[in-house]
Amino acid sequence: MNSTLGYGLILAGLACATFGAVVGIATGMAGRISGLAWVRRAVLGFFVCMVAANLLMVFALLSHDFSVKYVAHVGSRSTPTVFTIVSLWSALEGSILFWGAILGAYVLAFSIAFRKEQSRYVSLALGMMLAVGVFFAFLIAGPANPWTPMSPVPLDGPGPNPLLQNHILMVIHPPMLYCGYVGMVVPFGIATAALLGGQLGEAWTGSLRRWTLIPWTFLSVGIILGSWWAYAVLGWGGYWAWDPVENASFLPWLTATAFIHSTMVHERRKTLKLWTLSLVLATFLLTILGTFMTRSGIFNSVHSFTQSDIGPTFLTFIAMLLVFSIALLSARGHLLIPEGQIQSPLSRESAILVNNLLFVGVTFTVLLGTLFPLVTEAVKGVRISVGEPYFNKMSVPGGLAILFLMGVGPALPWGQADRKLIGKQLLIPLATAAVVLVACLALGLRGILPLLTFALGGFVAAINIRELVVPAKIRISQHREALWTALFRSASRARRRFGGYVIHLGMVLILVAIAASQSYVTRTSGTVRIGSALKVGDYRVKLLGFDEGAEPHRRWKAARMELVGSGEVLRPRMNFFERSTDPIGTPAVKSTPLGDLYLSLMALSEDGQSATLNAWVFPLVGWIWWSIPILVAGALIALWPQRQSRRALAPAVGAAASSSSNLRETA
Amino acid sequence: MGSVLPLAILLSTALGDFAPQQAGSEPLEPALEARVQKLGKQLRCAVCQGLSISDSPASMARAQLDKVRSMVAEGKSDEEIRAYFVERYGEWVLLQPEAHGINWLVWLGPVALLLIGFVVIARQIQKKPAAAPEANAEQQSKRPAHAQGDDDEYLARVRAELER
Amino acid sequence: MSWRWSVLIAAAACAALVVILAKGFGKDPHEVPFMLAGKPAPAFSLQKLDGTGKITLAELKGRPVVINFWATWCGPCKVEHPVLDWGYRQYARQAEFLGVVFEDTVDNARSFLQMSPTPFPQLVDPQSQIAVDYGVAGVPETYFIDAQGVIRGKHVGPLSPDALTARIKDLVQPVAQAR
Repeated sequence: MNSTLGYGLILAGLACATFGAVVGIATGMAGRISGLAWVRRAVLGFFVCMVAANLLMVFALLSHDFSVKYVAHVGSRSTPTVFTIVSLWSALEGSILFWGAILGAYVLAFSIAFRKEQSRYVSLALGMMLAVGVFFAFLIAGPANPWTPMSPVPLDGPGPNPLLQNHILMVIHPPMLYCGYVGMVVPFGIATAALLGGQLGEAWTGSLRRWTLIPWTFLSVGIILGSWWAYAVLGWGGYWAWDPVENASFLPWLTATAFIHSTMVHERRKTLKLWTLSLVLATFLLTILGTFMTRSGIFNSVHSFTQSDIGPTFLTFIAMLLVFSIALLSARGHLLIPEGQIQSPLSRESAILVNNLLFVGVTFTVLLGTLFPLVTEAVKGVRISVGEPYFNKMSVPGGLAILFLMGVGPALPWGQADRKLIGKQLLIPLATAAVVLVACLALGLRGILPLLTFALGGFVAAINIRELVVPAKIRISQHREALWTALFRSASRARRRFGGYVIHLGMVLILVAIAASQSYVTRTSGTVRIGSALKVGDYRVKLLGFDEGAEPHRRWKAARMELVGSGEVLRPRMNFFERSTDPIGTPAVKSTPLGDLYLSLMALSEDGQSATLNAWVFPLVGWIWWSIPILVAGALIALWPQRQSRRALAPAVGAAASSSSNLRETA
Repeated sequence: MGSVLPLAILLSTALGDFAPQQAGSEPLEPALEARVQKLGKQLRCAVCQGLSISDSPASMARAQLDKVRSMVAEGKSDEEIRAYFVERYGEWVLLQPEAHGINWLVWLGPVALLLIGFVVIARQIQKKPAAAPEANAEQQSKRPAHAQGDDDEYLARVRAELER
Repeated sequence: MSWRWSVLIAAAACAALVVILAKGFGKDPHEVPFMLAGKPAPAFSLQKLDGTGKITLAELKGRPVVINFWATWCGPCKVEHPVLDWGYRQYARQAEFLGVVFEDTVDNARSFLQMSPTPFPQLVDPQSQIAVDYGVAGVPETYFIDAQGVIRGKHVGPLSPDALTARIKDLVQPVAQAR
């Protein structure tokens, strides 16, 4: 019953998407808006079908309806309720179903945001987005069908992968990541609509930027949560392994960030049009590539779903998208001729150009490194690995350069800069950097790379904070406002700028934390008997004894470790799941603002008297997760809607149209 | 270097058995142990998805690291240790590709891209330099006449930005 | 750079990407390369599980050797167990059979073998050093060494009677006649 209903909903969704895509693109290309109402209805229909299918699947999971293939695959009566709901996205078919729902939500949101605009561009954009929806609905209906009825109906299932049941972060990391990934379809739709329509209006930049920043925020949060999960759950003390699937999520983030910057140059100088649009298309392509990499089974990754048939289908879609994108960009080349130019090397535009080059360079490096084992196997038949050492070596210089630009960019003005003025303005930030450097040296810290990172961090923070505070100071002096009012007002008058600099500060936190936690980590491993202590860094942990427990889906044994001096008890443990022959450890982490003490239980003795542990002290690692509120705050500030009328997606004839147009984006 | 009495957890149940988590060999003295960990970071665990033997909690990784430790204790060089593993598991066991033949692509490709990119940017910016001074002059004249003091010019700039 | 060139380069790069990805299908990314085929088998000297002494590889030279790495916690190893028993009874005259316990405790192995004994010797590999020496990447794995002490190949995963027969036949052929 659930199977049939679920499958029916998917087919209905596929029908809505196909109808909407065909009508939207056909009428949009022909320049008519007659079909727009129907396209909007198709969008609503697609959304309803997808969400209903997802809810139905959650219902099937919760009611343990093992007649549905997906539930038989990942469901289990002994899994706690939370993780049963989470198992919706824990395996391949369910994750694509989830993808469809989020896609439907985004397209509907876009349709609602532009509900007052009646133009062929909205028609085209919705049509393109629904075309992507067609692909995913087709996948769900065909190769990745979770609804196949099972016969005979099993009594119980194996439950989701034990690793996915270990931590609450598993509940939020995938949805965040999906909201980021899937959301990139909207800028894709806007950009292709603009190109297909044949005219690039003034306003598409604004919409493009806003509708990229929203998924960018989710993607950033999703990636950071993913690394927090790896850190808190996997027990090896790391948070980023340059795993192919991790890289896959990182690639569109890089190009989206590059786009957010290059669009600023485009706005002011009317140049870099081709480049900016290419970045948008590349971001979407990379999300599809990333989805492919996770699900195709050709990559060896912690995240890989099991091998399935959807690989070739995905690859065909990617090939089609590539052909379409290149054809579209070359056919509309005449639209993309720059109208302005970048005049001076010492200007913000140039800084952003270099920033873009670096981001694309890192993107290329990560993509090349991830794909290279496939290349050598195809060409030479030899299997090699490209792992952490390679990626760390290649990305550190780029990362430092980007950090430097995060400071220099905001310090430089648009257009030609006066060298003397810039020199004077850089004095305080350079002094800050020097102070930071001296302080670090005084504390006994050594090592060129981390010290350079800290010094640059000080430099960048000083510049960005100054850019945030100086306008407020002006307001205080001119309008005699109080500090917070002044800050608030200056922020609300220049939201993108303020939000952007806040995000820069968040990024500085992350980069400094990465440098500290990688360079100054202390590691010990050892075996301790009950009553004796293990020394790691400045901490000593004493083994008090062992605990054990059982939950419906797992049994566990923990070592009670007392932190000598503070009396705090940490309990690193090993979990035993039925499905897995290796126990899965849960580390015990004590977080302080200055660093983490991280204990991982490796082995217990038979006689119950000793334990073997790995212990680390990671300085500053918590700053990485604590940057999330800063990034989100910055993005919210940048995205917060202005009360003034905004521009429509369609290009309006004449300059007057931009401010007094009655076509508005009502988001 | 003696080997620690294997510490293992014994948990055979009717339904599932668990691989005993055995402790590895004793760490060597700090200088040598640092070398062991460094080499460990370069070698891939044979049963994991891309982790190094230093990072992986898997028992196979522990066995591989023990081998590295015993070879370091015997006085073998880094190259010999790496060669030992390559002999058994192939180049795949090295976490960064050796620089020979086609592997140069992965090391030099990004560098080449950056260089080409810089050249393209430089040419973009240097195009039509004659137009630049004119545009500059226009911009200068548009600025309000707070010519005295750098602070004022900066503030004027900030005000201009605020007005955006 | 002119327009056409950019389009061409982009198209070529994208085509290369798709081709590379397509070639990845059908390959198992979890397969670990095995390099010792055709090389001399590494020497070992291991204690027998029943405590009755040692076995070294050198003393077995002149006869083909089949070495099976297994563990009590490994399901497929238990599935393969009767196949090896049968194999020993069939081919004990042609080849020497040995079992090596991988990443397991002596007690575990002994309890298991009390319930299902094997007719051929089982060896203890402390700290799995011999497993690393042989390039083992999991269990079960079975190595086939010919009379000259050269590794002919290894079988990854549980053996079936047909696979075992084919391997043994191959093992007893002199090298010149082997494939």
